[in-house]
Amino acid sequence: MKKSLKPLEDILSKNLDRAESFIHAHPKINFLFGSLFEAFDSLIRSTRETAQTQPFIRNNYDVKRFMGAVLVALAFGWVFPSIYFYGWQCVLPKLMVSFIVGVFIVDVSWAIIAREGHISEGGFVSCMFIPAILPPQSPLWLTGLGAALAILFRNILGGVGNNLVNPALFSRLFLTICFPALLVAGYQIPFVGIPDLHALRYGLDTITHATPLTAFKVNGEIPSYFSLFLGTASGSLGETCRLALILSALWLIKIKVANWRIPVSYLGSVFIFSLFFSLILGKAVAPPLFQLLSGGLILGAFFMATDPITATYNQTAKWVFGAGCGFITVLIRDFTTLPEGVMYAILLMNLLATPIQSLAVKMRYRI
Amino acid sequence: MWKEKETIGFHGGFNFLDTYLVKFCNIIEEVSSGSTPEIFKYSIPDREVKYVIVNLCPTESWELPNWAILENKTLSFLDKLGEIRVRYFPKAHFFIAINKKEDRTIAEAMNYASNAEWMKIFALDQKYPQDDPVLLTKVILGTDINFGQDTMDLGILILDAQTVSAIYESCILGNKVNSRLIAISGTGLKENEIINVQLGTSVDKVLHYRTVEAGGYRVFVNGPLRGKEISDLSQKIDWSTNNIVVLKEQDSKVMFPMLKSGELTFTTNTHGELRQCIYCNFCDSICPVDLEPALYYHSYIRGEKHKARLYNLEKCIECGLCSFICPSKLELLRINRECKALGKKL
Ligand code: SF4
Ligand code: SF4
Repeated sequence: MKKSLKPLEDILSKNLDRAESFIHAHPKINFLFGSLFEAFDSLIRSTRETAQTQPFIRNNYDVKRFMGAVLVALAFGWVFPSIYFYGWQCVLPKLMVSFIVGVFIVDVSWAIIAREGHISEGGFVSCMFIPAILPPQSPLWLTGLGAALAILFRNILGGVGNNLVNPALFSRLFLTICFPALLVAGYQIPFVGIPDLHALRYGLDTITHATPLTAFKVNGEIPSYFSLFLGTASGSLGETCRLALILSALWLIKIKVANWRIPVSYLGSVFIFSLFFSLILGKAVAPPLFQLLSGGLILGAFFMATDPITATYNQTAKWVFGAGCGFITVLIRDFTTLPEGVMYAILLMNLLATPIQSLAVKMRYRI
Repeated sequence: MWKEKETIGFHGGFNFLDTYLVKFCNIIEEVSSGSTPEIFKYSIPDREVKYVIVNLCPTESWELPNWAILENKTLSFLDKLGEIRVRYFPKAHFFIAINKKEDRTIAEAMNYASNAEWMKIFALDQKYPQDDPVLLTKVILGTDINFGQDTMDLGILILDAQTVSAIYESCILGNKVNSRLIAISGTGLKENEIINVQLGTSVDKVLHYRTVEAGGYRVFVNGPLRGKEISDLSQKIDWSTNNIVVLKEQDSKVMFPMLKSGELTFTTNTHGELRQCIYCNFCDSICPVDLEPALYYHSYIRGEKHKARLYNLEKCIECGLCSFICPSKLELLRINRECKALGKKL
């Protein structure tokens, strides 16, 4: 099998080589399609670079695999569960719009305009987050706009590696400010039971306006923890099935793509602070376990706060970073009129990450 | 007196022996230089030797494996060591570091050590760079030495297996030692071999007929991690040459690299493009001396090379693991060296 494919591979490889040298020989074509070709080529072929300085062998783990692992984890964490809960007609078009607008339109045109050499893999991860943090019944154009904003914002700041705050969350913040009505509506009751074809396609058509957190704000009602954990309570498209999110995040932590310190300190501090406040204030604030299992906390703590670029680099500072996220989340949820605070908490701590990092480094090296 | 099979170590490091499997064939071939070979000379240090560490724990897969010297000869090897002790270092403590996985050697050595007061056996993890002098003295003796410092300053002598045998042959028996064992391996060779080479033979002659015909290759003396690349193959082999690695220069693209990692692994390819640092923490979790190499990188690209020295840069033992692991393929080791060199000038 492998042997018989070898000649085919060779032919393909040769043609790709030819295409590459053709593109490089014509500056105008290179200007328009160079980076697109690079991106496609680098997906299916290895690189040409060899190590020129010591050490002369390098590990075969690169950024592409790193981002690929996050994509796989997200697919198992929210895409498959939400296809079950809301039907594929709700999930797949959103994902497609997000990828097409974010990566293939904005990122490619940015690469052309700014004359970047390549298209970054990080765009896929950001675009995968966008539908997950919007309500299930939000219009498609909102997803597209969100993806465009996220990628544009990231590129303006200098691309992957330079983004100050999580681009996906930033664009969600932008959408919240511009279209507040759209982001509190469109929550759907998830489908439960053995799915038939209709359910797999559309899910249930019951629209609700309340996520468990808003419901709690309004009348103090708490759904069963079990339904929150399995994802049968309403919420944003990708945040509901906490079980799947936790499992895939554990896999990410095991292969060291996500750092375990941040989720541990984030969830731990949410638990501690909400316990503290509910001991003092009683029923007026949400109890700890409900806080842990509701809203975007699990998705945020395991996937967004752990985004290595926007968190701190120093390992000790990561504890502070996570604890800060948790504290702000609880403050917003308990003492403001906003039902959910994860987005604000992570964005705020992203901004604070730089001073925390430099302080931690100063303390560690005594300078 | 002997220590229980102890597992002590350091944080970080990388297990090369299991990642890059290099199998050597059992037959040891001879290569002669064709001219008068050089003679191995060992000058016994004139300073007082308090500790002798015998390093039987190679941590790179392409290094000369222990069995080539010790196979079925552990006891006679230890006897030789004993005689060297009596003759030259009567007051010194001997520490023998053996790879934790080599159960038989450890058992034999422990058995021997139970009657020999003067030596202790240490079973160490086969993690690179366990055999670096800085880590070896830290793990075994608990003493800190600086990178690049001569261990003899503290009265510590580090020997490898082959040097011990050669000292015995030349200094005690009075024989002439004019050849040594060398491991040659890599994807640029037809076969991985262990050869007995006369000192003074050129690398060219050793690799003759042994390299693959097609495609380019690059030659590294003492391994691609810590060793040097040599372009001039007429260089002569001396006692410090432990191994020669010939790697295929993989400078063309390969289809579907995800499916055939084996084909690319042991080559000079970087397996990815140069990207910006993504703060993934791979480099600081692999660093054997707990540094944070990304800090140096960021000082460097901000144009503040002098700042790198503030972050304990002088502790870096230049093992190269940070460059090896970095998914963004940054040249961290080169940056470390550049920043260090700047520090010396100031
Ligand atoms: S391994 Fe490379 S990309 Fe990762 S933090 Fe270190 S320097 Fe940055
Ligand atoms: S080269 Fe230096 S900084 Fe890099 S891993 Fe080795 S000791 Fe650490």
